[in-house]
Amino acid sequence: MDLDRAKQTYIIEARELLDSMEEALLAVEQEADPQEPVNAMFRAVHTVKGSAGLFGLDAIVRFAHTVESVLDRVRGHKTSLTGELVGLMLECHDHLAQLVADIQQEAPESAEAAQEGDRILARLAPFLAGGLARTEVQAPEALVVPARPALRGRPDAGRDCWHLSIRFSPDVLRNGMDPLSFVRYLATLGEIVHLTPLFGTLPERDSYDPEECRLGLEIELDTQASRSTLEDVFEFVRDGSEIHLVPPNAKVEDYLQLIKALPEEPAYLGEILVAGGCLTARELEQALRRQKAETYADGAVQGRMLGAIVIQDNAVPPPVVAAALDKQKKVQERQAQELRVVKVSAEKLDRLVDLVGELVIAGASAQARAGAAREAGMLEATVTVNKLVEEIRDNALSLRMVQIGDTFNRFRRIVRDVSLELGKTIELQIHGAETELDKSIVEKLSDPLMHIVRNAIDHGIEPLELRRARGKPEAGTLALQAAHDSGSILIEVSDDGGGLDKERILAKALERGLVKPGAALGDQEIINLIFEPGFSTADKVSDLSGRGVGMDVVRRNIDELRGTIEVETEPGLGTTLRLRLPLTLAIIDGFRVSVAGASYVVPLDVVIECLDLAPFLESERNHLVNLRGEVLPFLRLREVFRIPGEPPARERVVVIQHGDQRCGIVVDCLHGEFQTVIKPLGRLFRGARGLGGSTILGTGEVALILDVAQMMQLASGGRPSSRAALAQST
Amino acid sequence: MLQLDRSTHEGEPVLGLQGALTIYEAAEARDRLSAALDQAPCLRLNLAGLEELDTAGVQLLVWLKQEARRRGRTLALAAHSPAVLEVFDLLQVAGLFGDPILIAPSAS
Amino acid sequence: MAELIKFSKRQTQALAAAKVERREQYLAFTLGGETFAMDIRSIREVIQFGGITEVPLMPPFIRGVINLRGSVVPVIDLSVRFGRQATAVAHRTCIVILELTLGDGSAELGVMVDNVSEVLSIGEGEIEPAPAFGSAIRSEFIAGVATVSDRFVILLDVDHVLSVDEMSALIG
Repeated sequence: MDLDRAKQTYIIEARELLDSMEEALLAVEQEADPQEPVNAMFRAVHTVKGSAGLFGLDAIVRFAHTVESVLDRVRGHKTSLTGELVGLMLECHDHLAQLVADIQQEAPESAEAAQEGDRILARLAPFLAGGLARTEVQAPEALVVPARPALRGRPDAGRDCWHLSIRFSPDVLRNGMDPLSFVRYLATLGEIVHLTPLFGTLPERDSYDPEECRLGLEIELDTQASRSTLEDVFEFVRDGSEIHLVPPNAKVEDYLQLIKALPEEPAYLGEILVAGGCLTARELEQALRRQKAETYADGAVQGRMLGAIVIQDNAVPPPVVAAALDKQKKVQERQAQELRVVKVSAEKLDRLVDLVGELVIAGASAQARAGAAREAGMLEATVTVNKLVEEIRDNALSLRMVQIGDTFNRFRRIVRDVSLELGKTIELQIHGAETELDKSIVEKLSDPLMHIVRNAIDHGIEPLELRRARGKPEAGTLALQAAHDSGSILIEVSDDGGGLDKERILAKALERGLVKPGAALGDQEIINLIFEPGFSTADKVSDLSGRGVGMDVVRRNIDELRGTIEVETEPGLGTTLRLRLPLTLAIIDGFRVSVAGASYVVPLDVVIECLDLAPFLESERNHLVNLRGEVLPFLRLREVFRIPGEPPARERVVVIQHGDQRCGIVVDCLHGEFQTVIKPLGRLFRGARGLGGSTILGTGEVALILDVAQMMQLASGGRPSSRAALAQST
Repeated sequence: MLQLDRSTHEGEPVLGLQGALTIYEAAEARDRLSAALDQAPCLRLNLAGLEELDTAGVQLLVWLKQEARRRGRTLALAAHSPAVLEVFDLLQVAGLFGDPILIAPSAS
Repeated sequence: MAELIKFSKRQTQALAAAKVERREQYLAFTLGGETFAMDIRSIREVIQFGGITEVPLMPPFIRGVINLRGSVVPVIDLSVRFGRQATAVAHRTCIVILELTLGDGSAELGVMVDNVSEVLSIGEGEIEPAPAFGSAIRSEFIAGVATVSDRFVILLDVDHVLSVDEMSALIG
């Protein structure tokens, strides 16, 4: 059992659970029926506590136990979830998150953390019936402890309890676990009515190995927990340990069975069970006599399996027995509701996608060779292989897809906290949360999105008085939207605030020397000045929108993702930022073309059709083609890229569509569709215009991938960037 | 870390345990306590300074008790610290030792 | 423990007394007849020039990119970077592949040269500062000069010559 890996899994799961707890807390204030979020947050804390118990993470168990108790009262309608309690629960969430982070850093339990926890728990006290559960300490007297463990409660209390017999593996202590943690944790599941420790006779002198665990436990536990919960408690010590569970109200024969299974003297074990109130001495005696009578000729004792479930390494309890004995909640119900999901490490996934990428290139290479060799059978075989490779590729890439909703939801907390801080009321609307995109894009998107959202809250949405004066609803609206659109993903962040002030932007740009005075700039060009480095229209720099982190950084981040960003604004009405990103960074379906013998790749998802240029040429001077009545601009790759030499007599045009614009790209030759791995060009080429990366063809040749958005700008405006526009205008 | 300090109480030697008695200290503690057991007919352990005790530590004390019996000595535990009391209570081992335990009024 | 300390002290004293030189290894190559050298620590390998894919709209010091065992590596023409003629492709033309450490990782870069001659071992004491006049190459590109077997070798400051930030600014 790899404890470290299991612990890592716990940390990841705990984080996810805490996220869902936070989500539920934030949702509960908006929902008409808060029961579902309340159940969700209870389940989250309950599971965090339970799993922490498996690892002996006592600090988390202790803290979570009280939080769970409060939430239990809330969901049982004994305490109501006021705004104050929500705020307090959010603090509990933060503290638990801190405890989990400490576990990950392997930091020892700090005194400050413990004090902080106690402070929060103290404030939770009023929400619990009769204050915090505290272990009652006896009166201040000298007590002589009796020779036997005391039975708490009625003499036959053991009958209503689960009986747990545990013989820990000798390596338990060496593996970093402590049986004490399990006992402490069991105590949170119910009441330990009776407990007998068993050490046996320990070896003499030097034969005694102090690191070897010789502890056994016989426990009567009064609990509502299910069998599986109790089994789970010992999951990590199961290897090498012997664990027997006997459910409440078991028959005497069941205890006999248990006694037979355990290594100690039957008489001794019988005594323990009697002391624990599971059965009376008389019942034990009678049962033993009956058992003797059932001894078979060959000396083997045939007990009855019904009743005692023996849990050993890898043994699976018979389903019939489990169903017959289990009077607790049905485990099946719960399992049916759980999603069938498998967790995969990110590194493994990346490695898989890399390998698939190499497979795609190798497959293309094989097919090229088969084609060149003109061997029909070979060619057919490679085509079949490549079709399968394509399917694998699609499947592998889809594994990397995650819903953007996870990222969007993280903003709820930020919007809430920030709105409180600024004294603004802001309603966050999320649409298209199930839209999927590559996980690496999502990761890199989170920072720029965060900045955009903060800008909108800080500068976009006006203060309350101004909104009232403008006749707008008091609560500002911030909308996050995501959707797929022709091979890209479209993300919009819009607010119904005051919009961008063109005058102020122009003034600031003049002040910063980004524009020369007297330059003639259109409205959109002025708006786009916000993306210039060194620009910021905040009159006072608030903590939120950051010092020195401007929209230029946001655009750079989006550029690196091969995406585009646009801003649309209406004074007094609001602002919308539109991001367009490719669905995946890894593999591309492309259409290969060539100019002067060098290959270029057009992303297949933007290609509409390919034609000869001549029949459709409308005007060479104005670079227009007439496509069945539709007049489109075109660009000649040779001209745009300033490739020397004359074009061939017969040129081709590739008609592409990006967003709602169409244009043509004129090239020398067409080479057809293929798929390949995108190799980024690297930092050196960050300023390169018109190129979105490179790829290696089956021949080993490097082909450059065209950046369609930039190509479109080149074709329709003739101006590759606003920077160049400014340069030209000066 | 475990420290042992020697003192006497009413003419009898007392060994005070300071610090932690856990799996990390168990091996070394076994040797030192075993040696201490050989030095006098009765070994008294003062547990007031013991701040941390885990299963290995409890087991060691149980072993010490059994060893004492085997070697014809006596082992007595006294002044159980709160940490010791908590663990003894959890595992219900007080009965194995039979020493009187003083439970002080709640300090929290 | 004490033994170790004594030895180190002795060693440092010896070093101070004898002024023992550190010798570094440099790869010597020619550009337009002149001999240059680069510290070999960042050099990964040297390959023969065998075709290159040009990248359009690039300043002339960027010759293009090559496929190096599945990686797309940019190739710089060092001669052009020094403000001279473009390197003519001959049968001895080579590309020296360097691995540069950048802020957020490392990157491979190829440097095109006329030919590669040998690895020189040059001591710290043999390096003179660059002459104030003469070479039309920017002074910050030159780490120093050395005379090796009657040959004048110009040692390049690779971090400046191949500053990705500076070069990418020149591009965009």
